[in-house]
Amino acid sequence: MASCETPDAWTTAVVRGVPLSFVSPADIVRAVMTGQKPPGNPHGDDGQNPPDTGMGMTSISYLLGGMLVWGGIGWLVDHYVGTKGIFAGIGAVIGTAGGVYLIVRRLGA
Amino acid sequence: MIGQSIVLAADVPFPPSVEDFYLPSILPWGGESYWFTKITLLVWVSVAALIIFFLVSNRKPQLVPTKKQWLAESLYGFVRNNIAIEMIGPRGVAFAPYLTTLFCFILVNNFFGIVPLIQISPNSHIAFPAVLAIISYVMFIYVGIRHHGFVKYFKTALIPPAPWFILPLLIPIEFFSNFLVRPFSLAVRLFANMFAGHMLLLVFTLGGFAMLNANAWLAPISVVSWIMTIALTFLEFMVIVLQAYVFTVLTASYVQGALADEH
Repeated sequence: MASCETPDAWTTAVVRGVPLSFVSPADIVRAVMTGQKPPGNPHGDDGQNPPDTGMGMTSISYLLGGMLVWGGIGWLVDHYVGTKGIFAGIGAVIGTAGGVYLIVRRLGA
Repeated sequence: MIGQSIVLAADVPFPPSVEDFYLPSILPWGGESYWFTKITLLVWVSVAALIIFFLVSNRKPQLVPTKKQWLAESLYGFVRNNIAIEMIGPRGVAFAPYLTTLFCFILVNNFFGIVPLIQISPNSHIAFPAVLAIISYVMFIYVGIRHHGFVKYFKTALIPPAPWFILPLLIPIEFFSNFLVRPFSLAVRLFANMFAGHMLLLVFTLGGFAMLNANAWLAPISVVSWIMTIALTFLEFMVIVLQAYVFTVLTASYVQGALADEH
């Protein structure tokens, strides 16, 4: 039963003042009944949050977002100044740079 | 069989179009309105089925679960342990009921896309994924505001750790990526997958009839086309489960982002 002795923080959570266990009593009793070891730490790792699965989507949305937002602002500037796309181009490049910078700052180590 | 097909083939429209997604009205029967069609019916059926299933399977919970109870518990346990807690951490338990509901609803609705004789998913109309995305969107913003407070939440979400002189460049990108792209991509990803899946099955099924109709010598190729339909149905099954999972995981990841403290 050594695997039961995990720190409290892994097996219970306090949600709005009510302590909730990750391991329901039935999970423990059933495992014992079938002769298996009861689940200790339900994470299966050392209690840390796993790497964010949404990371790929986030980085893509930063890259495209940078291009679209600043390219769009550049396009508006073009529209009012009367140039033919030079500001849109500059905006897209600057936006991409901003997107890359954001990815490094937000998602980098 | 072939004779029957040829009779059927006489009025098979090819290629399929977006119009094929707008099914005839059920109530009033054959009317012009789109308020109550097969799509509406399917959504109600799925809601009813989910409510009844979970109520019945948890009516008298047994320590040694019955088959129904085992299925319901596995579904909830899977979403709670492998999505909610895995993505959000200990606080994720509070979101497990919502995430499970979301997962099951999307799964059942997607699954209608490959059930023989039903074969259309309500999620192939963007309205349904859009509403689901809006619910998730409002929820993660609300959760973030409740956790951090209004000003601090938007400060965390919009202002990246960067020198002040680049901030004017970065804040619009953050706003675009965090508050505009997220609900849009959630809705469109699910909708497009279901739409494309239905379209693909239509193309191969109707294509078989169209070829048969054009020239009887093409019959063997029609058969190949119908076999492809069956193969693609299995592919669709994978897409269905994957998209339900992805929608739920991304919602959980957004909630996690809203709850995350500054590093």
